[in-house]
Amino acid sequence: MSLPGLDLTQPSGEKEFVPAPPTQITVGKGSEWRFEVAFGTVVRVKLLTGTAELFGTELAPSQTYTFTGTKAAIYTWHGCMLEVSAGESYATPDSLAPGGGNGSSNSHETPTTGGRGLGAGGCQSEYTAEETPMVEYANVHFALETLRRQAKAQGRDGPRVLLLGSEDAGKTSLAKILTAYATKVGRQPVVVNLDPTEGMLSVPGTLTATAFRTMIDVEEGWGSSPMSGPSAVPVKVPLVYFYPMASPLEAEGSVYKAIVSRLAVSVMGRMAEDEDVRETGIIVDTPGILSQSKAGNVDVIKHIVTEFAITTILVLGSERLYSAMMKEFDNKPTASASAVASDERISVIKLSKSGGCVDRDAAFRKAVRESQIRTYFFGDQIPSAASGALPLLAASSKNVTLSPHAQQLDLNALSIYNYTIATPEEDEDEYDPASFGTESFLPGGGNEADSSQNQQKQEDSSATSVLPGFGGAPSSATAETGSGANVPLKKMLPPAPTGLANSLLAITHAPTTASVADVRDASIMGFLYVADVNNERGKIQVLAPVGGRVPPRALVWGKKWPGEVVGLVG
Amino acid sequence: MSSGLASDEVAEDYKNSLEDLTTNDRFQISNLTVIAKENTEHAMAISRVLENHIRTTPPAQKLPALYVVDSIVKNVGTPYTLFLGRNMYQTFMNAYTLVDSQTRRKLDEMLKTWKEPVPGSLDTRPVFPPEITRSIESALIKARTAALQQQQARSQQEILTRGRNGTPPGWSNTPTPPQNLARHPPASSQTVPAPYQRNGAGHAYPPSGDTHAARAAPTAQIHQRSEIDLSGLNRDIESLIAAARSDFATNPLDPAVQQRLKALLDLQGILQRQELTQEQLRLVRDQVSALAPKPVIPVPQAQNIPAVSMPPVAATPPAQTHSQPLQQLLNPGMLAGLIKATAARQQPTPPPQLAGILPQIPILNSTPQPAVPATKENPLIAALRAQGLLPPASAPPTASTIPPPNIASAFPLIVPGQVRYTPPVPTPQAQGNAEGQMDVQMNTMSMKIPRYTLVTTLYEMRTNRCGTCGRRFFATEEGKEKKARHLDWHFRTNQRMSDAAKRAQNRSWYVDERDWIKSREAGDDQNPADTEASGDTADGHDGNVAKKGPSKPWIRAPNDATLRNTPCPICQEKFESTWSEDVQDWIWQDATNVGSRVYHASCYAEVTKEGPTPANRGVPLARTGTPDSVLGKRKAEVTNSPSSNVRIKTEPI
Repeated sequence: MSLPGLDLTQPSGEKEFVPAPPTQITVGKGSEWRFEVAFGTVVRVKLLTGTAELFGTELAPSQTYTFTGTKAAIYTWHGCMLEVSAGESYATPDSLAPGGGNGSSNSHETPTTGGRGLGAGGCQSEYTAEETPMVEYANVHFALETLRRQAKAQGRDGPRVLLLGSEDAGKTSLAKILTAYATKVGRQPVVVNLDPTEGMLSVPGTLTATAFRTMIDVEEGWGSSPMSGPSAVPVKVPLVYFYPMASPLEAEGSVYKAIVSRLAVSVMGRMAEDEDVRETGIIVDTPGILSQSKAGNVDVIKHIVTEFAITTILVLGSERLYSAMMKEFDNKPTASASAVASDERISVIKLSKSGGCVDRDAAFRKAVRESQIRTYFFGDQIPSAASGALPLLAASSKNVTLSPHAQQLDLNALSIYNYTIATPEEDEDEYDPASFGTESFLPGGGNEADSSQNQQKQEDSSATSVLPGFGGAPSSATAETGSGANVPLKKMLPPAPTGLANSLLAITHAPTTASVADVRDASIMGFLYVADVNNERGKIQVLAPVGGRVPPRALVWGKKWPGEVVGLVG
Repeated sequence: MSSGLASDEVAEDYKNSLEDLTTNDRFQISNLTVIAKENTEHAMAISRVLENHIRTTPPAQKLPALYVVDSIVKNVGTPYTLFLGRNMYQTFMNAYTLVDSQTRRKLDEMLKTWKEPVPGSLDTRPVFPPEITRSIESALIKARTAALQQQQARSQQEILTRGRNGTPPGWSNTPTPPQNLARHPPASSQTVPAPYQRNGAGHAYPPSGDTHAARAAPTAQIHQRSEIDLSGLNRDIESLIAAARSDFATNPLDPAVQQRLKALLDLQGILQRQELTQEQLRLVRDQVSALAPKPVIPVPQAQNIPAVSMPPVAATPPAQTHSQPLQQLLNPGMLAGLIKATAARQQPTPPPQLAGILPQIPILNSTPQPAVPATKENPLIAALRAQGLLPPASAPPTASTIPPPNIASAFPLIVPGQVRYTPPVPTPQAQGNAEGQMDVQMNTMSMKIPRYTLVTTLYEMRTNRCGTCGRRFFATEEGKEKKARHLDWHFRTNQRMSDAAKRAQNRSWYVDERDWIKSREAGDDQNPADTEASGDTADGHDGNVAKKGPSKPWIRAPNDATLRNTPCPICQEKFESTWSEDVQDWIWQDATNVGSRVYHASCYAEVTKEGPTPANRGVPLARTGTPDSVLGKRKAEVTNSPSSNVRIKTEPI
């Protein structure tokens, strides 16, 4: 029982947390319990009886799951009883917009209290809903299973699914459900995230592909990418590309499309070698912006459909988009090599949007992004009293604290690239006016590197690019990658713009001497967080996830996206 | 700070792990022992969990749980002997009265070892204080004497019963007692000679553990499958039964109510005893749910239920069949209260009917029941059969035509007995049907059609659920194996996480394209050897490490300062850390892990070269004139404490 206004009687502040007695919630067959937990608030959920699943991933009985900064739903096919209790709030750094104000009735939330809500266990909002589209979603899974069996019988690849729908239509949730069900029946899908606004197993601004063989983490998005230590949920290994822009349509989608092509080639390479993945197929999640009626959108969708040889297009909620997709793709042959021989055709399916989909406002999205970045460097944040005391048995509270390494780097030794997509203010931002005057003191090294870079560019533009770490695999985007001139990517010379501070640098797998097209297309090995820039000494202070020397690779600046992250250090 | 909370957590975790223990699996048992050993500060909580678990777990799973107790008291000792000893009499007797005679023999053997010192220990005191074991023993002796006295009368009655070809109503509820009683005395006399000493030090399981496990495994499996497969259905039926029972309570003389209750119990019996296919189950469920909304109008189907349909009921709850002999077996005055408590708490076997049947017995007895195996059936069951849901007519008759004493005689051999009743449809095929042949068209219309049967492929089909993460496994042998490996994975991960918590961790670099294409997710259900091979810190998830690493043997430099300063035990030189560009970490070139020690690979190769026997490979310095036993002991000491490296140095000639 949570008494409305209970926490209002307490002076808000450090003492605000009153461990309300746990609430028991009975969820009937085919219903779901929807809940929202603000950042800074911790809610613990335990399955007492019955079965329950969070976006397709089943909850273990009597295990305590901890949620923070989440809007999610726990569905049950058979009925269940949940116990919801409040965890201790934790102070969020000022940068993490607490509460992520979802517009509901939390007028009392303040930055320090973290917005403990009035619902059970301190949820900002929670209720049980009987109408869900889960039957449809489960049917999609069963239909995909049918396709998988048919594909295997006919020697084709498993189905490739594309999820479309506007923002907050539940695309990622559906992707999770389909992935969870597939892994549950022993499949191994490759999940491709093409949404740069939200990271999957990585930070925002990345496009990733990951093969899922084991369970998705219940508590934390898609789970965690590899760390040096063990992790309670098997880690997933993502292949990560950096696309430091929020919209895929920047530069007429040329950069986005090139990276998508490259990602698709890698995924197809995996399919060719990994029998399990080949049988299961691909699930592609897309940014919501693609589903709005904007110029160039259909073009990008077409590109994705071709590159991944999509067989099934699922349109969530949008009637208009559905009819457009029907016109464009339904019953057309797929782009796979064997499509003609096996008469493989694209089907377009319309699915209902869940009534549980809530709009995540800008503040909440920002908080999610910053939390993803923080988690990348520092690990899980959820404080858990129990896990510290009992690491051996506390499998359910699995917060792993990571220790990134701070170090100083010599600016001249780095080759940092920046996307120079022309927007009105772009040229002003190119070099920081404040440090403009020091340009004449440039050490010669920078110029040398630049000229060699230009040579390299010319060499590369003549030949089809053979990409690093990917021995001569045919790139389907040759036309675009062939000439570096079209790539809006430019090497940045010292002095560093002050905007570099508090932003992310992606370390690519491309050598420092690679062409700009190669740098653009290269997968990345990780991120550096620039804590401080000292142009006088030509040094930057960075936070690296892994100790030791930062690998001498080309770096790409995430200047516009994910943009500035304040307060990650110190 | 909050040790109470922590203790709760330990208890909860321990409880979950215990629930996964369904067979006499040595590995699981030793895991549980290790956990108990590492958490002696929570010994009281763990002991309580153990006691509760033994009390509530189904009879087939009591033995493994008691073996955990045995293993803990022998390998850990105090404080567990204190905490567990306190209620050992109740715990032991509870379990003893509910298990079959095979298991009783095992318990006798185990009890015997408790009167002796721990094998291999210097302590001459017995495992448990003599007071505890003595009280249990005397209770058992009394029970046996009572049983012997009753045996003859019983067996005579049994002959009479069998000759009558019918089912005396009172007996139908207690098919087991005659058999059990007849069997019991020889069983206990066989007990004595079993030589426990063969177990060797440290392994506290009876020598016949393997054969028992083999026998127990299928039993548990069958139990479990039928329990969980049907859990939803059973729950529904149970609620119907509960409703019927309350009717019955208010109106005990109404034959309609009475018979309806019985019919439901019958159905439950059939469901629990028989392996119906998924298809049949589903339809049965539909029937039941159709029945559910109008539970108060059972009259139409109430007329012609013969008493004969009782046997399935009787066969249903093993707990009940055993609690009956118990009453005759043990001195009722002494143990009646105990039994009642046990029966009431006997959770996993459906509890309600147990409570329901017991009061029902006298009424059944008083009601004039024709002792004729009538061919008429409960309409509900008949309806189900008419739809082909239940096995054709012969199956329930199997139950009714075989007189209860027969069932009883089959009972101690649980496995054959159960298998005999399995309908000819093999389950795997049924799974194939439901999973493989239900094609779902990928189009918008098709998505709207509810297909709850297919949802069962996600849930009921895989009944074997991991208590830690909720992952499901098939209840097949293969599924069990996978689950065992999965649990091992949890265990190892938990251990590693507790280790890892002590040192700094960091995010790894993402793999590049080629490595990603080659990478395969490190499984949580694969053979430990596969994942373990990649070493302690590598953990297999930067999978490419082995490939990219230098061709010479190397290991990651340990983070721990003392380890880093420990020299190679052979040449006494320290290791040099070098940064490896490929591995992106500090490594020790030319180093190799042997046991818990790090050697220079070249030193190690040199030393082991001389000792060609592969058996000695793990013990490079073992070739001395010293007797093996001493060496073995000393070696063990060395591996246990890495700091005592001087000792090993002095050893070689």
